[in-house]
Amino acid sequence: MRYLIVGNSAAGINAASEIRTKDSVSSITMISKDTFNTYGRPLISYYLNNKIKPEDIYYHNKDFYIKHDIKVLLNSEVKEIDIKRKKILFCTKTKHNNDILVYDKLLIAIGSNPILPSIAGLDYNYTNVFTFLSYEDSIKLKSSITRTSKVVILGAGLIGLKVAEGLAEQVKNVTVIDLSDRIMSSNLDQASANIIQKHMENHNIKFQLKSSITNVNNTHNLVTEVILSTGDIIACDILIIAIGVLPNLNLAYKAGLKVNKGIIVNEYLQTSNEDIYAAGDCVESVDLLSNKKSVFALWTSAANQGKIAGENMSQGNHSKFLSEFAMNAISFFGMHILSAGVVNTNLQNIQSVTMKCQSNQLCRLNILNNNLVGFIMINENKRAGIYTALIRNKTQLSSLAYDITNHQNSNVGFNVYSTTERKRLLDLANIKI
Amino acid sequence: MKKIYALEERCLGCRLCEVYCKTAHSKSKNIIKAHKEEDIESAIFIEEIISEKQISYFALQCRHCADPQCVKACISGAMYKDDDGIVKNDKKKCVSCLSCILVCPFGAIKLGKDGKTVSKCDLCVDYGKSLCVEKCPNNAIELLEEHYKKEI
Ligand SMILES: Cc1cc2nc3c(=O)[nH]c(=O)nc-3n(C[C@H](O)[C@H](O)[C@H](O)COP(=O)(O)OP(=O)(O)OC[C@H]3O[C@@H](n4cnc5c(N)ncnc54)[C@H](O)[C@@H]3O)c2cc1C
Repeated sequence: MRYLIVGNSAAGINAASEIRTKDSVSSITMISKDTFNTYGRPLISYYLNNKIKPEDIYYHNKDFYIKHDIKVLLNSEVKEIDIKRKKILFCTKTKHNNDILVYDKLLIAIGSNPILPSIAGLDYNYTNVFTFLSYEDSIKLKSSITRTSKVVILGAGLIGLKVAEGLAEQVKNVTVIDLSDRIMSSNLDQASANIIQKHMENHNIKFQLKSSITNVNNTHNLVTEVILSTGDIIACDILIIAIGVLPNLNLAYKAGLKVNKGIIVNEYLQTSNEDIYAAGDCVESVDLLSNKKSVFALWTSAANQGKIAGENMSQGNHSKFLSEFAMNAISFFGMHILSAGVVNTNLQNIQSVTMKCQSNQLCRLNILNNNLVGFIMINENKRAGIYTALIRNKTQLSSLAYDITNHQNSNVGFNVYSTTERKRLLDLANIKI
Repeated sequence: MKKIYALEERCLGCRLCEVYCKTAHSKSKNIIKAHKEEDIESAIFIEEIISEKQISYFALQCRHCADPQCVKACISGAMYKDDDGIVKNDKKKCVSCLSCILVCPFGAIKLGKDGKTVSKCDLCVDYGKSLCVEKCPNNAIELLEEHYKKEI
């Protein structure tokens, strides 16, 4: 059997490891347009502000690939999948001609691409315009900044804010612009967004919310100023576009595989072609809470899907990917934010219980019909994993031994469950689901 | 693999396991120094169960799950399951993003006191023996083969 995996990030590497644990003889090849072995993509902002050493960005050490006999082709971009002949065409940076690789089972784990809006006066080839998605992006950005850089970031989502944090201590001026009325609008409610925005403002970051960039001024192929919808003009010598990502669908679409918002897969993560699986940010899954088709740009889901796809590719379809829901663990300047599920408290029938609310701390639970459906915690993590499990398992809150919304029970941990349920859950830990 | 099992009916909630856990994970391995000089988070915790009739206790620690969610959630590759099945956290690689804490269904991972890494049970493999098991005065914590069907 020849296993071929396109993409060497969260989904790809976890698929490769899983295949190897199930099949010790077949050949496993990972091919990626990346220049580097698998690294923690979310760590690229930690590299930017020297919070990690370059050698610690890697997900596995070099021995891993030798020990597990996994072949890795880097700097190799896959151009086409020929599903009839079961081969792929790829090209490397050094060679002009396309090369060919054949497969028996293929995994597409090519993640997402940045959304690049068209803005008057802006050419994405300008050398002071950046995206922030890869280690290469981060290296390039790091070598371009100086103490006096005037940085403008378009997008106050997770990636925009992480890059802002990464730069704040190294440059004089960082301004974040977003159309929304609050930062991280898809992950946070107004109260939590306010706490975090204030905290970031205290760390030298300026915000211009409810505004967008209408056009940019440039000289000698460099952006010099951005002009906002509010009419404000901001001097800018580094412009970072971080308004979001979209699944990378090109390869699948061209190959004739079914795609929608993401690549369409069944519960075994198999695409419309039985020898091709797909996993990670490029895949469309079902949101457990809304039952709607969604794409999750989450490391956890990508890793999990990769593992399940790997298992099914090597063992035949028997492991199912259960539906997922949004969750996030993120920190800015030492302030930790944990959130999962529904965070918008304005939705109908949601009962929002605030357990704690201070200038730098928050704990809010969102409940719908006797089920926990979401939470946000700032600088507080007690019971976070238990809350996540309550959402995932749709546990009836009335079945618990303690009322989780009662402040007096705030120290209760895993013993929120009844004795029988506790025993059942402890036993489950030994079973591979 | 062997895992730590807490026997609820024997636990008095004395928290000696927490004391020895900190000692085993200290630099000095000295009970006094571990507590007075090194500020360490215990990786085993006593949980109270209050019912109308009585208060009982049990000791909770990492279950070294067959399919550990913390490992998949880890963004840096710091959390891993070793060849013996023990779920470990490489402190050098941990960036304390708390993704593991967000997904551990037992609440068995804690943010370390230094705020820089997380702390969890590693069965004391580096220390050589599981000190909480050895020092529990009531034999309420045992190291048992996971298929050994002893009721907790
Ligand atoms: C700055 C930043 C911070 C983040 N923080 C968090 C966080 O805290 N928590 C969290 O859960 N998630 C976070 N994410 C999201 C997380 O990184 C992604 O969800 C995850 O990386 C998705 O993994 P993936 O394997 O699906 O794809 P990706 O990581 O996108 O990798 C895709 C791979 O495919 C390769 N590829 C693409 N096209 C081709 C081609 N044609 N030929 C060959 N190879 C190709 C790429 O080179 C790459 O190796 C963050 C992302 C960023 C950018």
